[in-house]
Amino acid sequence: MTSDLDIIVAGGGRVGFQTAELLANRGHDATIIESDERIVSEIADEWVATVIQGDATDPDIIEQAGVDRADAIAALTGETGLNLAVCLAALELQPEIRTVARIDRASAESYTRFVDAILFPERAGARVAANEIVGSDVQTLVDMTGDLEIMLVRVAEGAPAAGKRLADVRLPAGALIVSDDDGNRIARSDTTLTAGSRYVVAIEPDVADEVMNLMRG
Amino acid sequence: MGQGSRGPSAELGLLDATMIGMGAMIGAGIFVLTGLAADIAGPAAIVVFALNGVVTAFTGLSYAELAASIPKSGGGYAFVREIFNDFSSFIMGWMLWFAYMIAGGLYALGFAPNFLELLHVYGIVPSPDEVGAIVLPVVDTAVPLAFALAFVAVIGLVALNAVSTAASGSAETIFTIIKVSILVVFVGFGLSSPMLSEAEFQPLFPEGTGAAAILPAMGLTFIAFEGYDLITTVTEEVENPRENIPKAIFVSLAATVVVYLAVVAVAIGTLGADGLADAGEAGIAAAATSFMPTGLPVIRNGGALIVFGAVFSTLTALNAVVIASSRVAFSMGREGQLLPSFGQLHHRYGTPFVAILASAVVMLGSVTLPTQSAGNMASLFFLLSFIIVNVAVIRLRRERPNMNRPYEMPLYPAPPLIGIVLNLILAGVLVEYLIRTDLLALMLSAAWILLGGIAYLGLNRLRAEPARIPTDGDTEITPEVED
Repeated sequence: MTSDLDIIVAGGGRVGFQTAELLANRGHDATIIESDERIVSEIADEWVATVIQGDATDPDIIEQAGVDRADAIAALTGETGLNLAVCLAALELQPEIRTVARIDRASAESYTRFVDAILFPERAGARVAANEIVGSDVQTLVDMTGDLEIMLVRVAEGAPAAGKRLADVRLPAGALIVSDDDGNRIARSDTTLTAGSRYVVAIEPDVADEVMNLMRG
Repeated sequence: MGQGSRGPSAELGLLDATMIGMGAMIGAGIFVLTGLAADIAGPAAIVVFALNGVVTAFTGLSYAELAASIPKSGGGYAFVREIFNDFSSFIMGWMLWFAYMIAGGLYALGFAPNFLELLHVYGIVPSPDEVGAIVLPVVDTAVPLAFALAFVAVIGLVALNAVSTAASGSAETIFTIIKVSILVVFVGFGLSSPMLSEAEFQPLFPEGTGAAAILPAMGLTFIAFEGYDLITTVTEEVENPRENIPKAIFVSLAATVVVYLAVVAVAIGTLGADGLADAGEAGIAAAATSFMPTGLPVIRNGGALIVFGAVFSTLTALNAVVIASSRVAFSMGREGQLLPSFGQLHHRYGTPFVAILASAVVMLGSVTLPTQSAGNMASLFFLLSFIIVNVAVIRLRRERPNMNRPYEMPLYPAPPLIGIVLNLILAGVLVEYLIRTDLLALMLSAAWILLGGIAYLGLNRLRAEPARIPTDGDTEITPEVED
């Protein structure tokens, strides 16, 4: 009914925590599983997600993270094998769940046979590094650095802003709609937000959930 | 371009968070209900407020633990939603929503007589007793002036919050300091007043009913300690929340108990329990006008300052519950537990428009109730929802032992268990009292819960349907297609 998802993030290290933070900023519900007590305490200070302390392959711990209600589980620890085990355990407990596993080498891409999606953060990071080194003025959508997020957002049917002209929609400060619906023009005040069309939007993290509410409902 | 015209929220420190809690508690409760409590319990009204502080403290511990471990800003409903199944969390939200709305009606009802008293002090209108009714030429019926005022107050604040987000947050600290300062002035002058030396606190308990009269009075005034829970609705904006939220809850509760006891003691000491009871909703204001110095520059009558405090407090408290009630309805909409439109921001105003308007309807309805009924119903629903909060703590400890808890209450499981028992006793006493004296309030309460059950079933049916709807198409509630 709503576009807010319940998501479990296994592994509260750099990748896991950043992911949970992005998701929480967009209004989703993140629960982090982390076994290291020191990291648990650090995450708790940041106040972005509920934290379950324990081994993410332990069915009891996955259940405590609320797997029965979760829409997706992302296993983002540094160990490919462990991540795969977490996803498979979660699937066993909740067959409907979407699974995402972090891998640490390109050859592990065949794991998509077991999980819905894989990610290779080192390669994504390397791409950003390469962009920076070359000093190109052009940055692709996903490779933004800094806090600002550039996103492609599809306006949902029935969302508060759907069918409205930009002049009639008061976006929070820190949000900017960049492109019009076919991506050929910069948006103007008479641009209409058509349901089903996608728009390039620049958003500061702390207003992302408001923008998502307006555009996604 | 219609872009970028609203600013993001500021960071709140421990002081701000504490002030939000105190501001919500020291709102209308103390000004409006002291007279009514004195009516039921006599001079023992002091004991009533003290004991209520103790009872609430147990639930305060539960709120602190939940708020520290569940990083969400939704208050009681968000915590329960995290822990309980669909129906239980729906009922929690439904009851809490109602409690805030009825509290809104109560504060509006408290605002009106105090506002009239303020006008009276300056001779603009005759004494409140003589103000009869205003005649509306169109409708050709007489509407009591106080009732009309309460109605206007609700509509005004609802309209403000429906079209702007400016009324929430930032100014709360200043508001609270003003309110507390006014009460300190009240206590200061009261203590030095010659009337206090002739104070009559004996017999402490009213004749006939004795100490038993305390319990229904506690039930009625329980709502005076509602408000610290609002701290947990802004946690995302608080610095270092896992330490500051529990601290803010305890500090605001303790400070509020001290303020209440001083104020009630002075009010009874000067005006006497009977005089206080006669003044009803304007009890504190009446006590103040009896001993505050007159002939001051600008404000002329010192009592006017206190009456102004009552007007100001009831209005800010009303504003706080307008926001709080709409937030509960908004969260329920987000979670799919009310119609999706409740969970959407207005495209132009950026406010939870539908949630605010829906809350306003019930609030306006509750303004037609007698003040005491509104107080009883609001207290009853807060008691019930606080019971659920305590159960939630126990359940969370059992089901998720490995959950990280930055704040763990001492002596678990005693505090939530004691909290449940005490809240149950008060709720039971209140229901029994309502059966004897106020059947209407009890029936309205039951009707609201019944309506909740119907709404829940209806929504479930609605949610089950969209699977078939897309084929024929054009309904508004069709779920969005995810990529």
